[in-house]
Amino acid sequence: MIWLLRVIAGPLVWAAGFSAVYALHGIGCARGWPGVITPLGTLHDGALIGALVVALIAATLIFVRRPRPPMAPEDRLIAYGAWIGLISVAFTLFPVIAVNTCSVTGT
Amino acid sequence: MTLIPHPPQRALPLHREMERVWSRPPGLKGFLTSVNHSEIGLRFMALAGIYFGIGGILAMLIRTQLATPQGAFLDTALYNQIFTMHGSIMMFLFAIPMLEGLSMYLLPKMLGTRDMAFPRLSAFGWWCYLFGGLILLVALAAGMAPDGGWFMYTPLSSRTYTPGVNADVWLLGVTFVEISAIAAAVEITVTILRLRAPGMRLTQMPLFAWYMLGTSAMMLAGFPPLILGSVLLELERAFDWPFFDVARGGDSLLWQHLFWLFGHPEVYIIFLPAAGAISTILPVMCRTRILGYEAIVAAIVGLVFLSFGLWVHHMFTVGIPQMALAFFSAASTLVAVPTAVQIFAWTGTMWKGTPRLSLPMLHLLAFFATFVLGGLTGVMLAVVPFNWQAHDTAFVTAHLHYVLIGGFVFPMMAAAVYWLPLMSGRVRVRGVGEVAFALIFIGFHGTFLIMHLTGLLGMPRRIPVYPDNPEWALPNLISTLFSFMMSIGFVLFALDLLLHALFGRRSTRDPWQANTLEWKMALPVPSYNIAALPVSTDITAVSLARGEGALPGAPRGRREVLAVSSLDGKAQHVAVLPGNTLLPVVTAAMVGVFVLLMLFGAYILACTAMLGVLVCGWTWHRFGRDLRPARIEITPGQTLPDQTGVEGSLTRSGMIALIIADASLFGSFLFALGFLSVIAPGWPPPDSGLGLGALLLGGVALGALAVASGLARWSRGPLPGALAGVLALVAVLGVALLLDDPTRHARDALRAAATGYAALHIGIGVLLALIARTRAPATAAASRSIWRLWQDFTLITVAILTLLVVAQEVLS
Repeated sequence: MIWLLRVIAGPLVWAAGFSAVYALHGIGCARGWPGVITPLGTLHDGALIGALVVALIAATLIFVRRPRPPMAPEDRLIAYGAWIGLISVAFTLFPVIAVNTCSVTGT
Repeated sequence: MTLIPHPPQRALPLHREMERVWSRPPGLKGFLTSVNHSEIGLRFMALAGIYFGIGGILAMLIRTQLATPQGAFLDTALYNQIFTMHGSIMMFLFAIPMLEGLSMYLLPKMLGTRDMAFPRLSAFGWWCYLFGGLILLVALAAGMAPDGGWFMYTPLSSRTYTPGVNADVWLLGVTFVEISAIAAAVEITVTILRLRAPGMRLTQMPLFAWYMLGTSAMMLAGFPPLILGSVLLELERAFDWPFFDVARGGDSLLWQHLFWLFGHPEVYIIFLPAAGAISTILPVMCRTRILGYEAIVAAIVGLVFLSFGLWVHHMFTVGIPQMALAFFSAASTLVAVPTAVQIFAWTGTMWKGTPRLSLPMLHLLAFFATFVLGGLTGVMLAVVPFNWQAHDTAFVTAHLHYVLIGGFVFPMMAAAVYWLPLMSGRVRVRGVGEVAFALIFIGFHGTFLIMHLTGLLGMPRRIPVYPDNPEWALPNLISTLFSFMMSIGFVLFALDLLLHALFGRRSTRDPWQANTLEWKMALPVPSYNIAALPVSTDITAVSLARGEGALPGAPRGRREVLAVSSLDGKAQHVAVLPGNTLLPVVTAAMVGVFVLLMLFGAYILACTAMLGVLVCGWTWHRFGRDLRPARIEITPGQTLPDQTGVEGSLTRSGMIALIIADASLFGSFLFALGFLSVIAPGWPPPDSGLGLGALLLGGVALGALAVASGLARWSRGPLPGALAGVLALVAVLGVALLLDDPTRHARDALRAAATGYAALHIGIGVLLALIARTRAPATAAASRSIWRLWQDFTLITVAILTLLVVAQEVLS
């Protein structure tokens, strides 16, 4: 079971990060966080980028600790899982940096 | 531990001994009592085939109606029922049961064991599927079928706009079938992780098993949101609890979220088993080995997770903030990568091998041509601006048919043709299948390729007439004509199967020279699969038939298999499986009575039916009570305990899988609570008036549950633990009495639902404690460990719910 958990550790970090960013985004928009100014920017930016950074650090740690060659098949799957986690976090959560508005379009 | 196989025995006496124990009685009695995985798997597939035929007939009615702009073939009310039932049948009564049946039939054979982990659960699942499907079909015949579209959006499906029983039929019937799906997911998971041949590591198992492991994990996590949504909507319709009523703190978008939290993973739940069949059949057809085994496994892991991050792309037009659009769009495009990894692995396998263009291969080539196109239009729809233009048009209908028929139906037809000799012991009659294939392939693309254009011309889905849009007439007529060609193809495919069964020659063993484990069985496969469990990779069909392996025959007159450790396949204990019994059909019938009584609004009587289910549940656990701890020789010189004295039993693994599904249900409930409190209008709700009394009772409930959890760790704990559970139950019911009227506001309805959730879990905990109490101390380890798991989960969830209510009170 430990092995299976190591394989899915990266994707689990992505799932947690994705859920956290989605939840924080919804709460922030509903509670007016974009209007709350802090020394580092708005509270909304801070919360979302903070969540992204935490997810990236966790995924990077898993990636750095992945098995290295020569690898048994079991080890290769752990390494693939680490790749999946890191790429997924970086690719799907990068909009946090690029777009952070609460405005609604398309309706 | 290296296992040395038993010496060979005479095959025929061994076969007779096994048949005595594993076969079922003839006739109706056998039909009602059978729990054998081969028979139940075949029944699933046969019934799914029948439902596919019915769904197909409904599709032809739809196409006939749309053939001309002012079609007068169906009136609007009937048309609504027909397109709703077409989608519902194909999704819930065809695709999912078909994949369940295929995996139930194949997995034990591929993994080198004799049955699924919980044979009675397989049978129970099939009866639930039969009864649930019949409810939907009878409603269709009576003109009371669901008519709100297969995703049943609120408020259209709420009582105000659907006052009849139409929506209730969908909610209750589909939930009934979902029970079957959860049951299948639990046992597929446990079978793959715990019932492999001894020594078969996870990384050595056939790719089909990896795909099914991914599928079952997705089913465990993906179906509960829909079950929760259905329960909440039914509660709203039956008792006016306003979860989706905007005027009272609800939100109709909550339904969309819960539905698509299930609905998008569902696409991959359907695709993964088909991909498993492709990964199994393709190398055999190309006379080579699969390319990139580990990359494919990694792709499965990626798909299992990423597919849960896409659901909002079905809701891009409802008014989602831009950033959420952006990251759901990113996830929707990223999911194409693991799919592409598989496509490249399969293409590489074909490149490396020497493909033979036999019928299964033709269906696989059709899969490639169709599914890749469907995938590309999927990427188009994942891009927000295009999605806004194409949303709810015929373009989406075309896309989803390319994905589902391309990604599921063609591979399933390949699978049917490929594995039929295993099921029947016969080979196909040549000719008809090839003609059927050509008609289906040409008919399909003729129907749906042009439908993309129809959609881009602006034709919405689900409209019965289009008198003001003559530009849609020609493409619709072409779609209709080709759809009839496709239908004739499917009829010929069914005829091919019939001819095969009636006139096919006897097949030789392993007719495709696949050399995989499932083809090492006798043809047609006997009830017990294999006379001995394989202990090495260099086994032959003859050696298995002569008992050269582990646990040969059935010398103790019981259905025995080996339970192994989940990663490395180390043999751990001998599991004794239950035999033929009426219990599954009776339990499913009780659930069916409950559903029907709910449907007709007889809620008090429905509670009595629930008591019947409880009695069945109590009877269910009685199997194995008479077993006494023993060590059994599995191979010469190697003995293992049977399940009676071990804590890590199959049932415990099943309970863990069930708790994962339950945790998903609970997580979905927390999502609903968070979504409504943050997004829905009409919050904060009126004062609740909950005071010290409710707080004290909540504290008593939590304290009693904590005591029960502690007692569950103690060998003499069951009776006091049950009493603590009863105290917790009384306290929770006391809290329920103090709650506000659940019809007042969504917050109050959510609290009432949470109380019901807690009461149900505490009640089941009491039942499990009493079951542990009935077992003798020497054989109670497994029962106690199951009760402990449940008790701990209940304690955690009730504590979270209590904290949330307290937080609501403090913050409001």
